Amino acid sequence: MKELSELDFPETVHYTEDHEWAALDGETVRIGVSDYAQDQLGDIVYVEMPDIGDMFEKGDEFGTLESVKAVSELFMPMGGEIVAVNDALVDNPDLINQDPYGTWIIEIRATDNSEFDDLMNAEDYIEMLRG
Amino acid sequence: MDELRTTKLHAWHLQQGANMARFGGYDMPLWYPAGVKAEHLAVIEAAGIFDTSHMAVIGLQGEGARDLLQYCFSKDLQRCLGSGKIPLVAGRCVYGVFLADDGTVIDDAIVFQLAADAYMVVVNAGMGGIVAAHLEGQRGERSVAVSDYSDLVGKMDIQGPQAARIMRKILKEPDEVFAGMVYFSCKGGFAELQYPGSVQLLDGTPLLISRTGYTGEFGFELFVAGEHLVHLWQAVLAAGDGFGLLSCGLAARDSLRAGAVLPLSHQDIGPWKFTHNPWQFALPWQEGGTFSKDFLGASALLADSSAEYTRAFAGFDPRKITTGKDTFVTDLRGDTIGQVLTCATDMAIDRVGEKIISVATPAVEGRPEEFKPRGLCCGFVKVRSPLAAGEILLIADGRRKIKVEIREDIRPHRSARRPLTAML
Repeated sequence: MKELSELDFPETVHYTEDHEWAALDGETVRIGVSDYAQDQLGDIVYVEMPDIGDMFEKGDEFGTLESVKAVSELFMPMGGEIVAVNDALVDNPDLINQDPYGTWIIEIRATDNSEFDDLMNAEDYIEMLRG
Repeated sequence: MDELRTTKLHAWHLQQGANMARFGGYDMPLWYPAGVKAEHLAVIEAAGIFDTSHMAVIGLQGEGARDLLQYCFSKDLQRCLGSGKIPLVAGRCVYGVFLADDGTVIDDAIVFQLAADAYMVVVNAGMGGIVAAHLEGQRGERSVAVSDYSDLVGKMDIQGPQAARIMRKILKEPDEVFAGMVYFSCKGGFAELQYPGSVQLLDGTPLLISRTGYTGEFGFELFVAGEHLVHLWQAVLAAGDGFGLLSCGLAARDSLRAGAVLPLSHQDIGPWKFTHNPWQFALPWQEGGTFSKDFLGASALLADSSAEYTRAFAGFDPRKITTGKDTFVTDLRGDTIGQVLTCATDMAIDRVGEKIISVATPAVEGRPEEFKPRGLCCGFVKVRSPLAAGEILLIADGRRKIKVEIREDIRPHRSARRPLTAML
């Protein structure tokens, strides 16, 4: 496992306590998991994703990440409708390990974009990880 | 919780950036930065090394040693080698279990015969003292000294088709060592366990080498005095340069052994009777449904009327459930019929039509030209009916239900039993 100082936490995205990240991209929000999450999980072998059109509240489980170690739930950082899922993950789930921020899992149309500001910025997230 | 113990390689694991976790009372590597998938595949396609010095080693010496093992160990040492069921001899080893009087499992073990009246017993992490005390308690009038060497031993495994080519580079007189080295044989000795026919590294370090392992793949277990372990590990790593050798953690060990249908003691076998499971080869069955010898736990097994069956399974994709006491198994009607013991993902296999194919499957046996397995979940369930291979059931952890198939075997084309001469 890497030291926190060896992990990457870009300031362009916001973070949840469950280690998802969210990135505002115009009308939509892309969601993935942090470098810390992928490092903790180890090799990801399967990603369970929702269907396009599914609606979720903030905090709802929208899918799972299957690592060799365990199954981990994925939670919505913000409420909204699924407008796209990353099909590349079907055949190459380990893209999340290789590039956790370049690899989004779902794209949503948020119900309320202001929920983005409720999420942690990089500094607060690192502070939380330090405990 | 007891104090966390470490092996002689602990500092090396940390230095490599291994993801560490507690196992059997030891702080052990789960995987290294290469990742568990690369480690799992390396053992099937090249080679991997494992720090296994958390395992425990017991020595039995004296003219009563064999008789004590005959009474306490499940294998019949007079009828165990090969299809002819000949007696165990020096230089050979066998797998079996130590049972309590009620037929439940104390631990599983490999018994190595080192000389006429000298045996080495390798049991699981933290079990050295317990099994040694058990043997001592059953010793009676027999003339045998039981010694727990666990804290003196350094142990590592090298597993995978390149293992012999790598070891050949660091062994003194490798051709002599490898000559006649069949599956489940051993040569050499170390520390307190020194007998004629020594095996040495090029620099003279004595070791015991055995053609055994816990991955289902070709390879060796290596035993040295604890103070030589780091040196041995480094020598093997250096020799493995260019062979695709990777250091591997416990996660790859678990996924490899699950695909090879090997049990994890205290998880797949344990405080329930050692019957109705895939490991009946550990018992001295003979025609007529009786045992060829009497031993501790035998009558309880023969009288067993329990209806619990341990079966291997494989899923249809890599999804698995988190094992633990909240797991359950249902039939397709939804009725609960048992629990899940092990659930891991073998990342070297996938389903191609009706068959399970491995990266090691030859093309003529059905491996497609472009074969990129996603992995299959696999493991063991304990159920209340004698399910046959091919039956479909559901495993669940309260959150997720996964369809799996009962199997006789899981990962095909394993290399463990290939002749050594074919691996040089």
